[in-house]
Amino acid sequence: MKTNIIEAKNLTKTYKKTVKAVDHISFSVEEGELFGFIGPNGAGKTTTIKMLTTLASLTEGEASVVGYDVGKNPADVRKNIGVVPQEFTADDELKGAENLFLSAKLHHVPNDAVRKKAKELLELLELEDAAQRQVKTYSGGMRRRLQLAMGLIHEPKILFLDEPTLGLDIQTRQKMWTYIRELNHERGITVFMTTHYLEEADSLCDRISIIDAGTIKASGSPPQLKEKLGGPILTLRLIDGVDLTDLLREIQDVSEVAKKGQSYQIKLAKPELAIPQIIEVVTKRGLKISDITLVKPTLDQVFLQITGDMMRDGSANGDWFGQRVLIERLK
Amino acid sequence: MFADTFALTARSLKKWIRNPAAIMPGLFMAVFWLALFGSSFNPLNLVPTQIGGIALSPVLVEQIKSAMNSVFGGAANYITFLTAGIISFIVIINMAYGGIDIVLDRQLGYLNSLLSAPISRASIFFSGVMQNFVKAMFIAALTFIVAVLLPNGLQFGTGFGALNLLGIFIAFGLLTFGFGCLFTALAFSVKNVDSLVAIVNFLAFPLIFMSSAIFPLGTFPSWLKGIAEVNPITKASETTRMLIVNGNLTPTQLSALAGNMIYLAVVAVVLATIGYLIARKALKAE
Repeated sequence: MKTNIIEAKNLTKTYKKTVKAVDHISFSVEEGELFGFIGPNGAGKTTTIKMLTTLASLTEGEASVVGYDVGKNPADVRKNIGVVPQEFTADDELKGAENLFLSAKLHHVPNDAVRKKAKELLELLELEDAAQRQVKTYSGGMRRRLQLAMGLIHEPKILFLDEPTLGLDIQTRQKMWTYIRELNHERGITVFMTTHYLEEADSLCDRISIIDAGTIKASGSPPQLKEKLGGPILTLRLIDGVDLTDLLREIQDVSEVAKKGQSYQIKLAKPELAIPQIIEVVTKRGLKISDITLVKPTLDQVFLQITGDMMRDGSANGDWFGQRVLIERLK
Repeated sequence: MFADTFALTARSLKKWIRNPAAIMPGLFMAVFWLALFGSSFNPLNLVPTQIGGIALSPVLVEQIKSAMNSVFGGAANYITFLTAGIISFIVIINMAYGGIDIVLDRQLGYLNSLLSAPISRASIFFSGVMQNFVKAMFIAALTFIVAVLLPNGLQFGTGFGALNLLGIFIAFGLLTFGFGCLFTALAFSVKNVDSLVAIVNFLAFPLIFMSSAIFPLGTFPSWLKGIAEVNPITKASETTRMLIVNGNLTPTQLSALAGNMIYLAVVAVVLATIGYLIARKALKAE
């Protein structure tokens, strides 16, 4: 049985007794898992990472990382984790390699091991050519990769990634996904990441928790969460004819049927079994299909159903920004 | 802990060395103070040679001049007196504003990446002190050289040598380190540059003006004199003047020197302790 490398119980963070950034959340992450926290901006993702990486104290609850209590043994936690923050924290004035070596020193990597490890990481993250250049000449993607290397130089058991692809273009983002997957699959590093890009969580994570307004709304693997929405939906449009609603409902693997004009919205429990039967019902009556589409539920739909229709990402209608400013001020 | 402190200090100094222009503001300030402010004032020119058309006896004039000169610690000219004060000013201001880099490190998230690393909080604090200490002492040394090179500038007493120079270095080293700890701790405690500037201005300027950095204690009103006499800036300035004006020290001067050094060392230890305690609180998990 796999052990839990992160264990959080009733994790709560209140700033100045008024603003609840994280409100009694409990979750665990298994060793070797790629675990994602997804949620809109201001949901409490970064605050959770801060608590798990010893940067923020817990107002209530408890958490252990790599077997150490974050409040009682912060020094032991720090030794075993790699943290890649949202902000660009690599030093602009220093060269890429210098940043990497500084990070190695601060994590007490033995001198004889540093060069080999640095070379290997720079190669993996395709930064060999840029290593001797000042970071201020780097693109956003290169900075993120350098920070990933800085978070990995001491071979941590677990890597915390806070919005690892924030602000990156599509190609760079997918490249980043490849690296993260490789670190997790090939090297067995447990990854705890936050993101507000749903396709990122869908494509990368073994398991996710959806967090909104400081509380966890749902947890599970992406397919499990999608299943909760019910199966895929088949939309069938016929060229006139009799009402098939009742006949369609009788099919065992169909869970719901709704008719709108000549269109049927059919929710399928098991599409591979239901579709042939539906076609049979239609063709037996000599009816003609004018259009047919099958839509699988996406994580977006799951997310919207859970968090309500308000995507606070970059739009002015949410108050996530206000929340963040408030927290900054209260600290 | 020392290895971490050293690694972090080296990081900051590397950036500094790559940007030599960064020392220019400090250097300009030293040149302006010494060359313009220092040259424009000579206390001996205040001594009149005649009053209401009646010439004063040259012997009397010389006696007044000599009395005035002793108020200025026997310095050959005002720049010789002022240099120690300007160096005090330079190191205090550099340590005070050096904290801006620390505030920016916090705002950019760099400080968080240090805090989540397995290094002691003390090494984060002391590297902040040391990076500014090295810069401040370097600019102080340049200021000293400028004072010597100025026409009609700093004039040494006979017998001034390496030991005198070492004494000056130690006195300013202790002053810089002590106040450096205090200012650095404040920099770790505030969230933005404006607050830091407000606080350090409030502290640094009274500290400098309530000392004998710019004017001799003999001209102070008694209430101010009492404060200025215990001000560590006064101690460092007076020690330096003594070492510059008198090349070879008499036994009385040597014991005064020892007393001042002990005083400065105690102040440095006390300020370092206070500073560390403030910083430790500021570096706790939020």
